[in-house]
Amino acid sequence: MGTQVKDVVIKPEAPSVLLLDKHADYIAAYGSKKDDYEYTLSEYLRVSGIYWGLTVMDLMGQLTRMNQQEITDFIKSCQHDCGGVSASIGHDPHLLYTLSAVQILSLYGTVDVLDVDRVVQYVGGLQQEDGSFAGDKWGEIDTRFSFCAVATLSLLGKLDAINLNKAVEFVLSCMNFDGGFGCRPGSESHAGQIYCCAGFLSLTGQLHQINADLLGWWLCERQLPSGGLNGRPEKLPDVCYSWWVLASLKIIGRIHWIDKAKLRSFILACQDEETGGFADRPGDMVDPFHTLFGVAGLSLLGDEQIKEVNPVLCMPEEVLDKLGLHPDLLS
Amino acid sequence: MAESEEEVDVLVQRVVKDINNAFKRNPNIDEIGLIPCPEARYNRSPIVLVENKLGVESWCVKFLLPYVHNKLLRYRQRKQWLDREALVDITCTLLLLNPDFTTAWNVRKELLQCGALSPQRDLYLGKLALTKFPKSPETWIHRRWVLKQVVRECSPPETDRKEQNGGEQRDAAERTWLSERLHRVLYDEMKVCADAAGRYPSNYNAWSHRIWVLQYMAQGDLKVLHDELSSMRQWVSMHVSDHSGFHYRQFLLKALVKELSQAPISSPPPKDCRPSPDPRCHQAHLSEQVNGEATVAAPGSPPPSPEEKPSLPAVPQLFQQEMDLCTDLIQSFPGHEALWCHRRHVFYLWHHWRMDHNQHNGQGCVIRSPKLKHANPGLSCRPHVVSPGAVSLEQSENRNGQAHESQDAMEVDGVPDPHCTKRLKRGPPCPPVLPTEHGFVASVLDGCRSPEQGRFALAYRKWLDSVIGQ
Ligand SMILES: [Zn+2]
Repeated sequence: MGTQVKDVVIKPEAPSVLLLDKHADYIAAYGSKKDDYEYTLSEYLRVSGIYWGLTVMDLMGQLTRMNQQEITDFIKSCQHDCGGVSASIGHDPHLLYTLSAVQILSLYGTVDVLDVDRVVQYVGGLQQEDGSFAGDKWGEIDTRFSFCAVATLSLLGKLDAINLNKAVEFVLSCMNFDGGFGCRPGSESHAGQIYCCAGFLSLTGQLHQINADLLGWWLCERQLPSGGLNGRPEKLPDVCYSWWVLASLKIIGRIHWIDKAKLRSFILACQDEETGGFADRPGDMVDPFHTLFGVAGLSLLGDEQIKEVNPVLCMPEEVLDKLGLHPDLLS
Repeated sequence: MAESEEEVDVLVQRVVKDINNAFKRNPNIDEIGLIPCPEARYNRSPIVLVENKLGVESWCVKFLLPYVHNKLLRYRQRKQWLDREALVDITCTLLLLNPDFTTAWNVRKELLQCGALSPQRDLYLGKLALTKFPKSPETWIHRRWVLKQVVRECSPPETDRKEQNGGEQRDAAERTWLSERLHRVLYDEMKVCADAAGRYPSNYNAWSHRIWVLQYMAQGDLKVLHDELSSMRQWVSMHVSDHSGFHYRQFLLKALVKELSQAPISSPPPKDCRPSPDPRCHQAHLSEQVNGEATVAAPGSPPPSPEEKPSLPAVPQLFQQEMDLCTDLIQSFPGHEALWCHRRHVFYLWHHWRMDHNQHNGQGCVIRSPKLKHANPGLSCRPHVVSPGAVSLEQSENRNGQAHESQDAMEVDGVPDPHCTKRLKRGPPCPPVLPTEHGFVASVLDGCRSPEQGRFALAYRKWLDSVIGQ
């Protein structure tokens, strides 16, 4: 009696070509349909939602279809006196949305819309004595926030505003025996946290601290027979985890260790041919989050219809070129 | 339904009140849920309380959520004043519907800081939210903040200046009361984590919270660590796919081994033992201390009989029990990646512990380089060449069930189990070493009928070769 492997089966009729126009239409329409209930439910992450939508539009060469003025005004109104940015108006500021805001404005090349000095002050003020970063003034610690902090400051060219040695020390203290990273020291390795930590070490020039072969092995073991990648052992494959694992492999120079063709067909199968957009798995409901990571994943796999994406910041390379920002990658 | 704004107002206010009244009427509500119900039923509240379960009829949520959501945001922007009681009620309704609304939890933090809300009441709300949203990151994050406040409240009062007379006694009583309260909070928190872990498999947030709680509230507490390890034994055996549950066990094991290995520093061993060159003397002391402090430890395995107690080193015993458990589970539930991952980690911990301890006293076999080598040739090739195809299916197909059973019987009867533990049940514990692990892999591969099991066994062998050393 064999065990059921936790995986999906890709049906023969699943989409196998990239439906870029559909995806652009889906994202362009998403913001205009402000269905009360759904919109309310996701308002707590609005600024990040905008980042997902804008970035995927830019990767598809469709950024001009979005309303720059409206978005810029909105972002500006989400900055608080402390310098931090909140998910929406009336919400509390947080490092997560501060990074998303800076990413959005970097796409437009207009970070000065924000009071940049205060942003830098806000981020620096969240660093703790042990080098870790709190997500906001209430003090939750997570390696995700270490990534948010250095990514924000890198985009602003202000990485010197924090104690880098201490910050690196903390992230390395979250490394596990399998080469992966968790949210805090002693926590389980998780593909999302690994992405954050690998990205952090890239931006801080510390990638040599990673055991790339060991971590690469763990990451490759995320690939399932369907071609999709999961985020941890015995979890289902998912488009967003496919991005985090793939981007991490790219950062540590081991992307050739997985079966790219199979992953590509898994990601393509997650498209919705009718509505446009990508879901987490074939047949599920689409959303902007998985749409960005589906398209970004295909870009990392070398799809030439999509702009080249940077694996560390999940933004078009051309945007980072303009900023002169070239995060390290291992070869 | 084309209700006017006023009608919605009245309706929603009534529902918010109904919810909060339900909590007053029944303080033992232990679960919340949504009742699928597209239409309102005339003159009936959409809030349903059945025994200890609180249900909200689905039709009202699309009015209720935007209403409480917008109300709280207007308050946050200082466009509308709400008194503390209203804030408590509104955030309660809001968070039961949308527990990842960070700002609503923050409002409750402020209410807690000004004394309008007790930590218990807030932890209770979070617990209920987790019954419907067991992953909700913001709920877990908020709990950690509340628990920090509780720990602060419970930390012993400053005793810089000596109080007169009965002061010390009162202090002692106060301290006992506080530490008991802290213990209850810790115990309740473990239950909340266990419940959420049961509701969603490999619940990262629940398990990493549980680790945080131990690190923050029970650092170095051998009894708590032991109790957790033994209570988790049954849980993981029933959730063999739960990588997070196994990671938690690895965390416990690592913490216990660390404490046990450091124990002489916190409580020095008898004089005659300390300088002893014989490592067994040192370890025997540790095991006595553990058994003395934590009598309920590891009920899954029989406690050592009195005559073997002194010769049973605590740490090797722990590792042996864990490897035995892992062997049993791998054999009983073939094809589970989480079990093989667990084996890697436990063997890794044991291997390094043994090496460290052999290095210190110059005894035991020499083990090769402990460091994971960069650019290890064994790892540089694509790991996914260890594909299901690598396991010979022919072999397992040719062997029918009968033949396989006789093979098993033979192993029990005559062929020595490559895993040494069964043979050494009565001797000192002997957790596996590298050759026995290779033997274990061979025994799994021999007659393996599950392609997944074969794939994981081969991957484990490869891991042994490249990470632990040839
Ligand atoms: Zn996903």
